[in-house]
Amino acid sequence: MSYSFDFTGLEQGYDSLLEGLKVTVELTLAANLIGVTLGFVVALLVMSRISLIRTPVMLFIEFFRCTPAIIQIVWFFYCVPIMFDVYLDSVTMGVLALGLNLTAFNAEAYRAAIQSVPKEQHDAGIALGLSPFQRVIYIVLPHALRSALPVLITNGIGIFQQTALVAIVAIQDLMYQGKSLATTTYRPIETFTLIAVIYFAVSFPVAQLVQLIERRREVASR
Amino acid sequence: MNKSMSNLSSAKSFSATDSTNKSPTASTSGQALVKVSNLHKSYSPTIQVLKGLDLTMAAGERLVVIGPSGGGKSTLLRVMMGLEQIDSGSITFAGQPYITANDGKAKTKINLAVRQQIGMVFQHYTLFPHLTILQNLTLAPRKVRGESKASAEARGMALLTRFGLAAKAGAYPNQLSGGQKQRVAIARALMLDPKLMLFDEVTSALDPELVAEVEQVIMSLAEQGMPMMIVTHDMWFAKNIASRVVFCAGGVVVEEGPPDQIFNAPKHERTREFLDRVFHI
Repeated sequence: MSYSFDFTGLEQGYDSLLEGLKVTVELTLAANLIGVTLGFVVALLVMSRISLIRTPVMLFIEFFRCTPAIIQIVWFFYCVPIMFDVYLDSVTMGVLALGLNLTAFNAEAYRAAIQSVPKEQHDAGIALGLSPFQRVIYIVLPHALRSALPVLITNGIGIFQQTALVAIVAIQDLMYQGKSLATTTYRPIETFTLIAVIYFAVSFPVAQLVQLIERRREVASR
Repeated sequence: MNKSMSNLSSAKSFSATDSTNKSPTASTSGQALVKVSNLHKSYSPTIQVLKGLDLTMAAGERLVVIGPSGGGKSTLLRVMMGLEQIDSGSITFAGQPYITANDGKAKTKINLAVRQQIGMVFQHYTLFPHLTILQNLTLAPRKVRGESKASAEARGMALLTRFGLAAKAGAYPNQLSGGQKQRVAIARALMLDPKLMLFDEVTSALDPELVAEVEQVIMSLAEQGMPMMIVTHDMWFAKNIASRVVFCAGGVVVEEGPPDQIFNAPKHERTREFLDRVFHI
């Protein structure tokens, strides 16, 4: 390798990188809040017997699953304001785009989990006089949350990486700050290596958490 | 055993129906707790499970339904609990029709207020795995009836104590044995003060050594005069707890009568065949 790494000079950017990381984490948390809650509702809707409800929701899911996230972000940032005459700040738009993207993926995870709730659990709920809504809240949701949890966390980590895309619409996240640092220091390779390490350092422990949950579940089901 | 049980039950809150206990087949519609009329149910055009089933049960009776698999026993209980749609017929509880077929394609009509006077225990425990034992008991009273947490928990603890499960109140279902789970399931149903209990093969999934503890709990309910309808393959249990036995096959009631008569002197060839096969003597 003929290139010699030189990290000197990057210290000046530490503060702005930290600021960027804060924005990235906030975006991730906000998107996950949307994805985890709305994902469940969307999963219920897409399982509806009424095709008038099911079809549009299915299209929503497939749109977000079958187009690149970067296009969704650009589209939200440029097209939504023009088409719907809604002007929101870029962070809100970023959160919405990421949140809805995550909603679509989480909805699929929830759907699989909901379908895995044993029929007997529904029967018991009916026999105890719980209304359909109460059965969803007190029986189906806890079941679904539990069995979907590893996938939800994995999707959540995925969105943490995807937040890097919002840098192109001038949200000052970790990626954005890294880009500016690279320009000011003329050290792009070192800068991007550094922010890659930061993304990794945050994601890795959370990913380990998924393995821990799955291992515990394996033990419990024995 | 059987005679003493009848006496016990009729001595308590169901003394008005004393006579029906002694002559079980003479139950009249005036006193009937449950009246099933001409029940038809099919799972598909080719699979017809109930083919015009008629059944009357007086208050204070303990009806045991026996018969071959696929004969409609469990389906009958599930229909009574509102878990299945029916094609035609109706079921009356304490004089009120609460399950009626809508002719044509529409769904079965279920009067929920009436149906909620009936409790059911299933073969596979069906406890909620994410709730503790006590929470399993208090969920429905609190959410369905709006009972306070304190009141529901007090009643729940009283029931658990009675069933010897007080120490397990804070445990989760997967920490319990099958027999314990099934006793909790019975307690959970009792929390709603049912006027009739349905037991659908509640000991079939249990290890043999755990069957007795569950049957004892059901016996103790019987002694307190709880009307019940039991589907079971355990003929010993059937003999001991039944005030009347119903033999169900091919989607209809083939024969019914006191346990002595059904088990010792069945009238129908089909009943004899079934019992011969069960006892394989």
